[in-house]
Amino acid sequence: MELEIDGLRRRYGTVTALDELTFDVPAGQVFGFLGPNGAGKTTTMRAIFGVTALDAGEIRWRGKPVDEAARRTFGYMPEERGLYPAMELFDQVEYFARLHGMDGPSAAKAAWHWIDRLGLSGRGRTRIDSLSHGNQQRAQLAVALVHDPELLVLDEPFSGLDPGGIDDMSAILKERAAAGVTVLFSSHQLDLVEDICEAVAIIYRGRLVVSGPVADLRRGDRARLAVRVAGDTAAAWSAGLDSATGTVDAVRADGTAEISITAGGDAQQILDLARAAGAVEHFAYEDRSLSEVFRQATGASVGQAEAEHAAATKATRVATGAGR
Amino acid sequence: MRNNNSFRTTWLVASREIRLRAKTRVFVITSVILLIAVALAVALPAILSGKSKPDKIGVVGGTTATITGIITQAGQLSGGQAVAVAEPNQAAAEAALRNGDLAAVLVPNKEIIVKQVPLGGVSGSVETLARLAGLSKLIQDVPGAANAVAQGVTLPVRGLQAPSTSLSSRLTGLFTIVVVWVLISVYGSQIALGIGEEKSSRVVEVLLSSVRPVQLLIGKVLGIGLLALTQAVSMVLVFIIAGFASGSNLVHGATLNVVIAGGVFMILGYAFYCTAFAAAGSLVSRQSDVNSTIMPVQLPLILAYALSYTVIYANGANAFYHVLGFLPPTAPIAMPVLYAAGDVPAWQVVIAAVLTAAGTVWMARIAVRIYSNSILRTGPRISFRQAIKESRSA
Repeated sequence: MELEIDGLRRRYGTVTALDELTFDVPAGQVFGFLGPNGAGKTTTMRAIFGVTALDAGEIRWRGKPVDEAARRTFGYMPEERGLYPAMELFDQVEYFARLHGMDGPSAAKAAWHWIDRLGLSGRGRTRIDSLSHGNQQRAQLAVALVHDPELLVLDEPFSGLDPGGIDDMSAILKERAAAGVTVLFSSHQLDLVEDICEAVAIIYRGRLVVSGPVADLRRGDRARLAVRVAGDTAAAWSAGLDSATGTVDAVRADGTAEISITAGGDAQQILDLARAAGAVEHFAYEDRSLSEVFRQATGASVGQAEAEHAAATKATRVATGAGR
Repeated sequence: MRNNNSFRTTWLVASREIRLRAKTRVFVITSVILLIAVALAVALPAILSGKSKPDKIGVVGGTTATITGIITQAGQLSGGQAVAVAEPNQAAAEAALRNGDLAAVLVPNKEIIVKQVPLGGVSGSVETLARLAGLSKLIQDVPGAANAVAQGVTLPVRGLQAPSTSLSSRLTGLFTIVVVWVLISVYGSQIALGIGEEKSSRVVEVLLSSVRPVQLLIGKVLGIGLLALTQAVSMVLVFIIAGFASGSNLVHGATLNVVIAGGVFMILGYAFYCTAFAAAGSLVSRQSDVNSTIMPVQLPLILAYALSYTVIYANGANAFYHVLGFLPPTAPIAMPVLYAAGDVPAWQVVIAAVLTAAGTVWMARIAVRIYSNSILRTGPRISFRQAIKESRSA
């Protein structure tokens, strides 16, 4: 494993941000670090860069604790984007290349390369605060990529992007991963990114909920059937389902029942039951969404978890006067 | 290797500050205006006085062609003009000297009297006159003495009042501390504003992913400090060059020492205050809050500056101001004033400089802790008390 997150703990006053958080990130993959707002994603990413101190735990890169030299080979795009507003784009990108240890000529070359590559050609001499919002996002990405990092860490890279921007961003992440870079990005929009990443770690309240390849998590240990009977918008037919065969997880608005097949259960029996109730309009195996994986594992929906966090943050902000 | 890298990173941060600021129009224009102001302040009085009114030298017992010649020659040799004025007796001459009608009185073959001898010794036409009149006396007294002229003989110079620093030295002291104060507060607020900008624009988090807080802080104050130093050094150079070019008496003896002491305390003062300004800048989340956090940092400077007028225009500073001269936060202003007013000997200036340097180290340690602790904190402005308390426990 390239990046190992091992037993991280961090408390802010009475708030536990990280609670024995452990997971590994393999090389050459786009790895999603998912969870509702307030789960501890940003704290973890800051800890990778030593920006946040840890109460306990260790972060290892290629088997060794992360140190300053290792960090120089990392690229970071924080959640709260930030660049010098009055600095020209090229100067800015080149400056960060040099801070990561590149010499003058190669920093300049790399800066121009990434400015062109990210569609900012001709803007090298434009001040950052004169760039459009979308172009500022690209500039931020250029700063994270310019020194050709071996580990790329992006906090909520897709937030605030339009669909075209999401496609561009995911194309770049996939390209970097294909080039052998370890790519770790966070998102609280679980379903938005399930097609973008190959593997994920999902966290909640500073703890790991589940991690692994996206395909495995979505399939789950029990196969999922989606069945709809014409005219039955409440899926009343499924009341006759035997739990030895399958259980109904949810019923969608159009009457489609989401059924997990019990191990050893027979899908044909479910089909027979549905046909007995009427014309079967839809009958198919389906993958679960990542937000459903989250709900099943935690008992709370992503939305509920975020509302809970927002209320708690408001309370502690009043108590401590601190931002995070 | 690690130290090497560390220095390289710090220097990268510093050079960004220099490049960013040095090429702005504001910096270039203010630098030029400051230098012109210094040049004018030094050269104008010398030029005006040199052209408009010659030094009047009273001669007790009436003038002779020889003495008139000596006085005229002394004026020319010192780069100005001097004329001889006959005075009936010494009492009348001294009275004229007291009320400012005469620059000096020559008692031939005996002495030269001035109103007050500056601490650095007399300069200009009076100094030259003393030498020439001394030679003249020698040649008259001793047959064949003309051969001994090369040795140089000077007539004694006596002051009517006790020796003291000249007004020019005091005014130079005032001018010097105005420059020290302006440079420290201008560049200090630039530090605070720059850090406020990094914090409010959130670029600091990207920076801290590859740079340690202490490198970022030192790089910033070093870069801005080098700009301030360049400005201070060029002002001192212009002072000296314009002074010599215009024949100003400000570049002689005591006055020049005041300027040099001011330059040293300018550097020490910047070193002491730069990290404090940085810590102040790190406490805000919005750049517009910076002005209110740097106010307490500037208070000691303002205090010392305001009180300095009582020293410049009085004979002898009070004990309280003497104490201020040795406290690191106020010494950068107070000590040059005390020195210019002739209230402290040079060795006390050195002690104050050493104390300020030690205070600088102490201040930097506290400031770096506050800065490291506050720079990533968002939300409402953090108070100094809170920041210090937390930096202790961190």
